[in-house]
Amino acid sequence: MTLVIQEALMTAGAALLQAVGLLAVAPLLKTVIKKMKARLQNRQGPPLLQGYYDLAKWFGKEAVRSETASWIYVAGPRVYFAAALAATTLVPVVFAAAPLEAAGGILLLVGTLAFGRFALATAALDTGSPFGGMGASRDMTIAALAEPALMLGLFASALAAGSMNLGVLIRTLLQGGIALHPSDMLAFAGLFMIVVAETGRIPVDNPATHLELTMIHEAMVLEYAGPDLALVEWASAVKELLYLTLLAGLFMPVGMATTTAPAALLVGFLAWTGKVFALAIAVTLVESTNAKLRLFRVPELVAISLGLAFLALAIRFL
Amino acid sequence: MTVTDVAYGLPLALALRFGIAVVTGLTAGRRDVARRVAFLGSGVASLITGLTAARVVWSGTPAEGVLFVHQAAGVTLAYSIDGLAAWFLMVLAVVAIPIALFSLGYVGGPHWSRQSVFLGITFNLLVGAIEVVFAASDAVTFLCAWELMTLASAALVATEHQERASRRAAFLYLVMSHIGTGCLIAGFLMLSAWSGSLSFSTILSGVPALGPTRHVLFALFFLGFGVKAGIVPLHIWLPEAHPAAPTSISALMSGVLIKTGVYGIARVCVFGLGVPPLSWGVIVVVVGGLSAVLGVLYALMQHDLKRLLAYHSIENIGIIFLGLGAGMMGMAYGRGDVAAVGVAAGLYHVLNHAVFKGLLFLGAGGVVMATGTRQIEQFGGLLRRMPWTGLFFLVGAMAISGLPPLNGFASEWLTFQAFLFGFRGSGEPLVYLLFPIGGALLALTTALAAACFVKAFGMTFLALPRSRSAAEAGESPMVMLAPQAWLATCCVGLGLFPGFVLRALQAAMVSLPGLQPPADLAQGGLGMASGLESFDHVVPALLGMALVAGLAIAGLLSARRGAAARRVPTWGCGGELTARTEYTATAFSKPLMMIFRGVYRPTRAVEALSDVSTYFTQEVRYRAEIEPTFERYVYGPLVALVLRVAAGMKVLQAGSLHAYLAYVIVMVVSLVLLVWWRS
Repeated sequence: MTLVIQEALMTAGAALLQAVGLLAVAPLLKTVIKKMKARLQNRQGPPLLQGYYDLAKWFGKEAVRSETASWIYVAGPRVYFAAALAATTLVPVVFAAAPLEAAGGILLLVGTLAFGRFALATAALDTGSPFGGMGASRDMTIAALAEPALMLGLFASALAAGSMNLGVLIRTLLQGGIALHPSDMLAFAGLFMIVVAETGRIPVDNPATHLELTMIHEAMVLEYAGPDLALVEWASAVKELLYLTLLAGLFMPVGMATTTAPAALLVGFLAWTGKVFALAIAVTLVESTNAKLRLFRVPELVAISLGLAFLALAIRFL
Repeated sequence: MTVTDVAYGLPLALALRFGIAVVTGLTAGRRDVARRVAFLGSGVASLITGLTAARVVWSGTPAEGVLFVHQAAGVTLAYSIDGLAAWFLMVLAVVAIPIALFSLGYVGGPHWSRQSVFLGITFNLLVGAIEVVFAASDAVTFLCAWELMTLASAALVATEHQERASRRAAFLYLVMSHIGTGCLIAGFLMLSAWSGSLSFSTILSGVPALGPTRHVLFALFFLGFGVKAGIVPLHIWLPEAHPAAPTSISALMSGVLIKTGVYGIARVCVFGLGVPPLSWGVIVVVVGGLSAVLGVLYALMQHDLKRLLAYHSIENIGIIFLGLGAGMMGMAYGRGDVAAVGVAAGLYHVLNHAVFKGLLFLGAGGVVMATGTRQIEQFGGLLRRMPWTGLFFLVGAMAISGLPPLNGFASEWLTFQAFLFGFRGSGEPLVYLLFPIGGALLALTTALAAACFVKAFGMTFLALPRSRSAAEAGESPMVMLAPQAWLATCCVGLGLFPGFVLRALQAAMVSLPGLQPPADLAQGGLGMASGLESFDHVVPALLGMALVAGLAIAGLLSARRGAAARRVPTWGCGGELTARTEYTATAFSKPLMMIFRGVYRPTRAVEALSDVSTYFTQEVRYRAEIEPTFERYVYGPLVALVLRVAAGMKVLQAGSLHAYLAYVIVMVVSLVLLVWWRS
């Protein structure tokens, strides 16, 4: 019995450690992308710690909320944050196993993120501001279109490895060694587009603008201020880091630690940092070289991604 | 044999219902008494059948018996509650008891109380008929109960018969249902003619249906039951009939009545006609996927809360069919494990949909009663006036959107498993393609449902009231809230303990042929897994714990000592913020309407009215509507054809007595000639 409790405590500890770790790194990723983007535009860009300064500033402010809003408005950012945090425990990061692997795999991860999105979009409708409704409507629309492409892309890699559980899946990939199948590249391209859409980046959404005609995510959270806003922004950053980690793990699992030896963990950490950085560069390049698409052009992008994922499945199994 | 023997359960409940109906009729002068007798009694009767069904599942031995014998006519109405029937009877009881309780308050309201006696008697009749449909063990009993169920529900749809829309809905429902019943009668007659028996145990053993004729049988039964289930394209009656009925009846119809179609398909098409060939599974999957996606797409465009929920019933029936279809394909391949996962997913979703759709309809009933309208655009801000209804509706909305750890996620997870897991074990290109496409369709459906319920909940309960009636609405009475609380608890409980549900399901599926549930399908009470080599598993409760921990961390981070939040008006873009500046439900779903315009084919007309000059507009009128594709292009020509044929037949029946006499003589002579020629 004590063994069971010990094991449960270890799992909880690992989950907490991973959640806190990703929480700590996430603001840095956002700023790094901003900084690289600025450099590409011959600007100086914000200091590397700007993400943390922003969070500290927001947390220090008083909470200002709309008179018309109900408890849903307060709950929204908290549930969104909790869902992002819970999602971090389902994804292998440095170690080739997720802390809460026992809870479930890809389907649970996608469901958890959908839960957070549902909460935030619902809360956005609570103030009565037209911006909230506009943002929620667009965000749910794009999410609805992206979901099948995301699932199909994940299926393509999961079915090849024979497991829908991320931990098992990545360990299988690691054992098999590096054998890049052409279908992996198609699935990767498809999923990368979906990650761009889900994290609100150009060409789907522009995280830097507050122009009412174009914003999606920013419109949804326009009414939030102070600690509420800090939670939303932080959770969004965690989500972005999580998506990049997921891509890195599924398509480049090389270097992930399979033992708890310090050296292996160090290698795993360095590999993870490198891979996420490389993906961040890719995101930056895409953001810098593309124009934002009109909202009604986004379905075409998603359709391309869906097609790629389907092709990936087709050439792998037909 | 004691009185508590399972064999007494169903007859006892039915006798009770009959007694209730009589007493309700006798106390018609005192509506309050009649209402209490009818609905409380109905709850007790449902409890009896529910417990009987639970005992059947628990013990594994079917409860059998005879309901009625007429020696002279040689008619015996028999019943047999086996695992499959018991599962559906349990689903019925889980939902019918809270609905009966809710009706106690709802029918007592000013709008319906004049109809108390009618509603009370017909409600009991309807629930009793559904019980017999699930329990019937021969074709005659089944068809009698089926017809009684149709007539009772049609009467309930026409409760507000003074309104043209209700009469039309009831008529459409009757016509469609009888087309379906006609198919069923033809199917059962073919089966009994070949086997010489009416008993299900003979005609549905898979033996009489052999050779190519079984495809005909499949088509007849699939059409017949499909009408009742509301699959696309046989669904057109559903979004008319469900909203027209009183809301507690809508809840029963959407929650359980359409499941009689699913039950029939499971009983006959999946397990009754021998091992289904691959093509049947493909048909069921395709129809299921089509129903799921089109159902949710049409739901998105509805701004009548009850119609929206009705379209979601079509979507969820589609999801159930996806599960069953995957199971049938598994059976066709001889993969008992895939078949078991698929069928279990379908049956699990039957339960879940009954629970959350019942909950949502009851919540909608409370809202409609409080505001006097069904239009979402007239609601708004109701969470302040109706906090409990809002909370329960939110739980239902999250469950139907398939969000973990609620119950909708659990059954959709299992449906995904049937598809992904099936993918691995099959060897034909067609199946390779169909399985992932089915998965993608399911993902699209779930995500669209989430978008739809953000709209439905947000526009109804959040922000500012959009009408006077919404601003003055009051919370529902306790007797209407308690059933919603129970169903909301079920939504959470059935999601957190999928292992227990699957245990019960496995017990219920034991008697079904061709299924081999994977040994580790249910993992303890909390988890489920999809068999072979631990392909995937899920323990929603663990995620629930992670979410609670995350909420605690969020609370800690954002808590500031002693500082209450400052309340300020929402920024109204420089103007005053009123309900008129809010985003509307129409606007919310507009992007999806634009994106899926190929499906909707929207038309819109903007008309600017001005007095003096076109530059000084007095009024702008905006009309937008989506094309009722099926009504216009499928049923329109069909109805026109029927009318044309009828017009042609008028010549035969022109009112001339001489002509009719001539017909009789011609008929007699030709019969005589026929007999003479044959002998």
